[in-house]
Amino acid sequence: MGKYFDMLMEDVRMREGLNACMNCGVCTGVCPAAEFYNYDPRQIVSIVQSRDDEAIEALLKSDTIWYCGECMSCRPRCPRGNTPGYVIQALRTLSQKLGFFVESEKGRQQLALKRIIGENILRTGYCIVPRLVKPELHPEQGTVWQWIYDHDKEVYGQFSPVYMRHGAGALRRIDEESLDEIRRIFDVSGGSEMFETIEKHSDRKAREMGYEEGADRQYMMDVFTNNSNEHY
Amino acid sequence: MKKRIIVIGGGVAGMQTALRLAEQGLEPVIVEKEPELGGKLRGWHVLFPTFTPAEEVLTDLRRRVNESGIEALTSTEVVALTPRSVTLADGRVLTGDAVVLASGSTLFDASIKEEYGYGIYDNVFTSADVERMFNEGRVSKTDGTAPRRIAFLHCVGSRDEKVCQQHCSKVCCVTGVKQAIEMKRLFPEADVFNFYMDIRMFGPGYEEMYREAQQTYNIHFVRGRISEASPTIDGRVQIKAEDTLTGRPLRMSVDMLILLIGMRANDDNASLAGGPGLERARSGFMRPRNLFLGNIASNVDGIFYAGTVTAPKTIGESLNEATAAADAAARYVGA
Amino acid sequence: MKRRSWQEYQKEIADDHYYYARSCIRQNFFPGSEKAFIDILTNDLGKDLLDDPKHSSCTGIGYHSDIVPLETIMTVVARQFALMNEAGYENFVTSCITSFGIYTEILATWQEFPETEEKTRENLYKATGREFRKPANVAHTSDVMFHFRDEIARRAKHRLVNAVTGEPLKVVEHIGCHYAKIFPKSGIGGSEFPYVLAGMIESWGGEVVDYPERRHCCGFGFRNYLVQANRGYSIANSHKKLESMAPYKPDFIVANCPGCAMFLDKWQYAIAEMEGTTYGQNGHGIPVLTYEEMAGLVLGYDPWALGIQMHQVDVEPLLDKMGIDYDPAAKYLGRNGKYIGKPASAVVNCCPTDTIYDIRE
Repeated sequence: MGKYFDMLMEDVRMREGLNACMNCGVCTGVCPAAEFYNYDPRQIVSIVQSRDDEAIEALLKSDTIWYCGECMSCRPRCPRGNTPGYVIQALRTLSQKLGFFVESEKGRQQLALKRIIGENILRTGYCIVPRLVKPELHPEQGTVWQWIYDHDKEVYGQFSPVYMRHGAGALRRIDEESLDEIRRIFDVSGGSEMFETIEKHSDRKAREMGYEEGADRQYMMDVFTNNSNEHY
Repeated sequence: MKKRIIVIGGGVAGMQTALRLAEQGLEPVIVEKEPELGGKLRGWHVLFPTFTPAEEVLTDLRRRVNESGIEALTSTEVVALTPRSVTLADGRVLTGDAVVLASGSTLFDASIKEEYGYGIYDNVFTSADVERMFNEGRVSKTDGTAPRRIAFLHCVGSRDEKVCQQHCSKVCCVTGVKQAIEMKRLFPEADVFNFYMDIRMFGPGYEEMYREAQQTYNIHFVRGRISEASPTIDGRVQIKAEDTLTGRPLRMSVDMLILLIGMRANDDNASLAGGPGLERARSGFMRPRNLFLGNIASNVDGIFYAGTVTAPKTIGESLNEATAAADAAARYVGA
Repeated sequence: MKRRSWQEYQKEIADDHYYYARSCIRQNFFPGSEKAFIDILTNDLGKDLLDDPKHSSCTGIGYHSDIVPLETIMTVVARQFALMNEAGYENFVTSCITSFGIYTEILATWQEFPETEEKTRENLYKATGREFRKPANVAHTSDVMFHFRDEIARRAKHRLVNAVTGEPLKVVEHIGCHYAKIFPKSGIGGSEFPYVLAGMIESWGGEVVDYPERRHCCGFGFRNYLVQANRGYSIANSHKKLESMAPYKPDFIVANCPGCAMFLDKWQYAIAEMEGTTYGQNGHGIPVLTYEEMAGLVLGYDPWALGIQMHQVDVEPLLDKMGIDYDPAAKYLGRNGKYIGKPASAVVNCCPTDTIYDIRE
């Protein structure tokens, strides 16, 4: 009893985010995810504070913990000084460490996030760059974005002298030395290990699900685009 | 010569303490910072659970204080005390043989809970505002029209770490039910909602009143604390909460949002406690010597407590405590 | 709005000498805003600001997508601080709201849990050989703009008023969630009544509109937008805000978070294309500005030099109301006036794109 709770408590965000919940529902009342999904941050905090291993394991393997948008609207309002958003962050981190995230549709999406955002950070030093926002994957970005995307050098060139080149300014290419430092930071601080963990468990799950090549591009695109519509 | 006992505070607890002391042949003196006696009861409309007019209780206490010839210094503030004296704001020192501290508590300032927009949005009121409106005979929305949907929110400034008020104010639950009934009597067509976490009906007749609110008046009880209030374009108030019993978030617009404000420790408790070394609870209220066998005694000999200076209480409890405190003080001075 | 509490939430904002950290989203979608911020500070206000080529993303989007661990982002942040120290600066100013939240949260975590700061120092030294001191001051770029709002008002070429009627423009302000919801004291005005944008709007002649969903998130929700399958969450939350503000007929929306500005602009397009619903008074969209663009327009910058052509919803109706001169034909030109084609028209757009010079014709 309390094995997972103890593991969670190793995360400072849990120590900061969970005192004792009295189930008032203030967090849920203001939660954007609760209005959209079948989601209730209050109940998550309630389950975690029960320290029930079985219930927490079910949570770590569920879609539920992946609905939160981490907007932190719950944080300033909680009358007990809890932060359900921090509890979620700790749950997600543990779910990935233990490989439980691949057991849910929303959890499996971590692979796409790792490959899109994570790898881009190591490649460019930014979370997002214009070439990453491909109009075919982002129809919502509209006709102006399509125009920008098609003429990026002309458009961005008006605002930055160093678009995709070295130097100071917007959308510059970050120098190799700095990028090496970022990569070494990921190596020494657990970032690279997290990436490998996500890949390893995704590959295992992909094979289990019948993807013969494991977590290949097809698997990644499937987790990126598929929605079972069972979340509401 | 009569023993003189200084009673700090002229609310119901202070008046009853003085009356009981006078009955026993002692010489009480009431020191009240407001221009008249009465404390929190002034401006209150009716009392739970019997809907007794507050004025009835107040008038009776004031009449007896007058008839007993008890000395009352009004518009007089105490800034320091010892078991034998109190220092007033103007520097004068009153001496006596014992002190009863009955300085009460402070109503929570609802504007501190910024998310409810009290003082900013029209049609957000406090329970104290509602009592005043009933007394003035003008209960309505800000624009003077009748409300069709009213929400009461329990625990505003109580059980809330964010505003440093972790204690339960005890009387707001029953006040909320009482005011909901009063509103429903006045506006039978209106829908009335009470948003609560726990309904703490601890006194005689309270639970029965809660049941009556549901059964006779069809007042709705929603288990969930309101997350935020905001103004709508037609002058109403939009509220968000979770109905925690169904586990679903809820959003509605109401004509009036009434915040049931709690009781907090007076700001000057800290400075008053400093001189004689009185102990205070974490909540800032004074801490009685012993919660069971000495709840009207302080940790300092010769200083006694009556009423809400030690914790939120009902009028009845404050009156009983005042009697007990007066008796203890009388014993202390050897009467 | 009767905001009384904002003065109780004051924060110290440095007067000069800023170490600038850019925003991934800002530079992608509003590169003109970033340029405008630097130009306004250095050219108009004569302040010193360093744009250090060595600094990087804070990795905050990765962190809030839960793929970048806390220890890692702490070390990346520590590297930024080290670079700032090495360049001789101590006032850290960041253009991104996610980053601003990250910096304030990490500094608070180091305070609360000193062992995490020790571990970060160790990690940073191991990875880069660098050491760091914490900044004297951390501010968001909107704080800095707020700080100089009166000076900007004195130099104003245009005000946020209808040039014809003289009436103040009605402005909806949207504050990025991580500006003050994580630490209410870190934001001007706190988390319930943030004053950072309202202060600029009022100084420059506009009127702030309060509406029921003012404090609601724009709907970014990190993984809820970044993963295609989840975007229903994102559009639904923007939709909720737009529905809630539309009855107040705002002249424009302004946001201090680059992501929020982008989403409130782009989701109007998507909603219009999907459902035919538009929220502007002209049957098209409500223009969405960044606060840098708002300041730039007030100071008389050319709208296209501010990059306003990169928005999906046309801003021209607002420019017309403010009495700002602009060349419609120059809107979609490339560098040195080069013709590069123009975007296809959409429901939210109201300005004919056929006036654009086509040198081939």
